[in-house]
Amino acid sequence: MNIVTRKLIAKELYVNRWFVAGGAASGVISILLAATGKMGFNVGALTWLTAIIATGVMLGIYGVMNERKEHALQFVLSLPLSIADYVRAKMLGLSACFLVMWLVSSGAALLLVYWKESIPDGIAPYTVLLCLFMLANFMVVLCGSIHAQSEALTSAVIVVTNMGVSIFMFTVAPLPGIEKYMWGPTPVWTSTFWTVLGCELAVLVVAFTLPFFLAARRRDFL
Amino acid sequence: MNDKHIEMRGVRKNFRFFTLDEVSLELEPGQIMGFVGPNGAGKSTTLRLMMGMITPDAGEIRVLGHEIPRAQAVAKRDIGFVSAEMRLLPHATLGWHMEFMRSIYPEWDGSYAATLVKRFNLRPAQNARSLSLGEHVKATLLLALARRPRLLILDEPTTGLDPVARHEVISELMDVLRDESRSILFSSHNTVDVERISDTITFIDRGRIVESGDKEQFLDRWRRIHVQLPPGATLPELPNIVKREADGHFITLITNQYSDGLKNLAGPHVTQVQRMNLEEIFVANVVYNRETRGQ
Repeated sequence: MNIVTRKLIAKELYVNRWFVAGGAASGVISILLAATGKMGFNVGALTWLTAIIATGVMLGIYGVMNERKEHALQFVLSLPLSIADYVRAKMLGLSACFLVMWLVSSGAALLLVYWKESIPDGIAPYTVLLCLFMLANFMVVLCGSIHAQSEALTSAVIVVTNMGVSIFMFTVAPLPGIEKYMWGPTPVWTSTFWTVLGCELAVLVVAFTLPFFLAARRRDFL
Repeated sequence: MNDKHIEMRGVRKNFRFFTLDEVSLELEPGQIMGFVGPNGAGKSTTLRLMMGMITPDAGEIRVLGHEIPRAQAVAKRDIGFVSAEMRLLPHATLGWHMEFMRSIYPEWDGSYAATLVKRFNLRPAQNARSLSLGEHVKATLLLALARRPRLLILDEPTTGLDPVARHEVISELMDVLRDESRSILFSSHNTVDVERISDTITFIDRGRIVESGDKEQFLDRWRRIHVQLPPGATLPELPNIVKREADGHFITLITNQYSDGLKNLAGPHVTQVQRMNLEEIFVANVVYNRETRGQ
């Protein structure tokens, strides 16, 4: 990796530091709220989801779409780098930004599950799947933003991925291999869990690598 | 071939509603080329092609001896690019941008950057989002100049600037020109700025290069000839006349190949031969070429 790519990754962490810090803080506060009782759990879970989704969307909008819209992309592309370098730096930089927030929020959620006695440990597999889904979801947002040439298309990707969270929750939770053990005292890592996890990982890998093959080879980047 | 700072040969780029066609131009080291064309002529597209931001459909581009877009990362180490449209990263200060450039370019000249900050009256602590248009152009110019690049590509850098800011930007560019190993490609539709700093001019219109050559030769060749014919007299057919306007006995001719021989051919009724400024030459040239091409 050349020095310009490394500097651009560091630049993403710098310019998005407040989104990342704000998102991570919101995630932790939501988990603390979720530890206060049943009502708190519901409200906390909702704000936790919102914090993760919002951070991902903000990174997609401000990190990719606005850079293009506000003509800062010209400045970045005038640096000694190729289009492939730019895509690499963007993918790695924004993924690193999201990962910081995601690791803090997901770690806090899993800690809550294992630490809080009133929350059954059986929900841990579903929590893991939800956390990984949020990561895969962000990668789809990022992949879409990098490829989309228009604001409308980026917005469409954001809307579809947001809908995807609700669809995931209401589709995966009732699966027999998940629902049966969700409220049990110990986590059960069923084959259903591993199948869903595999699907999420596949989406994650495809969304993360696609820009390296498609956007990085685009002939026109402005 | 590799000695030239810019070399474009038969470059074509198709868009849905616009085609840049058969663009060929050369820029020698130490040369300052004014790239002049009306809005939408293809100036920015040509410069973006040189920077590798877009890829040509046909033709060859070499900048500082490197093939573009394939070797753009290497070529851009020595290119300073400034565009009127270009904006800095909105959430970072000018000081952060300067530090960012210093970390990328080993040639970064910190003391020159500090001089430019003072000369342009910029504030490093100021966020890029809050810079005015003039400050933005000066800031991007500072970031490009303090790297001491061999080639400056400037896309309408003075567009939208007030006269004072324009004067500051042009004066700084004139200073840069003292180093004869550096070259500048300067696109603009403001012919006054171009006439002031360029030694070579290239005209572009509707995606095609209209004419390219030495500025002084342009100014020498293009003349306006005023003729007053007595009653009954006629003007002989003259070569190289690109425009003819008649108002009774008063005839005004514009030629793109003026010589004393042409004046003699016009006969004894020539009352005045005027030099034309670059803007007049540009307009006459573009109109003539559109007529010739039947556009």
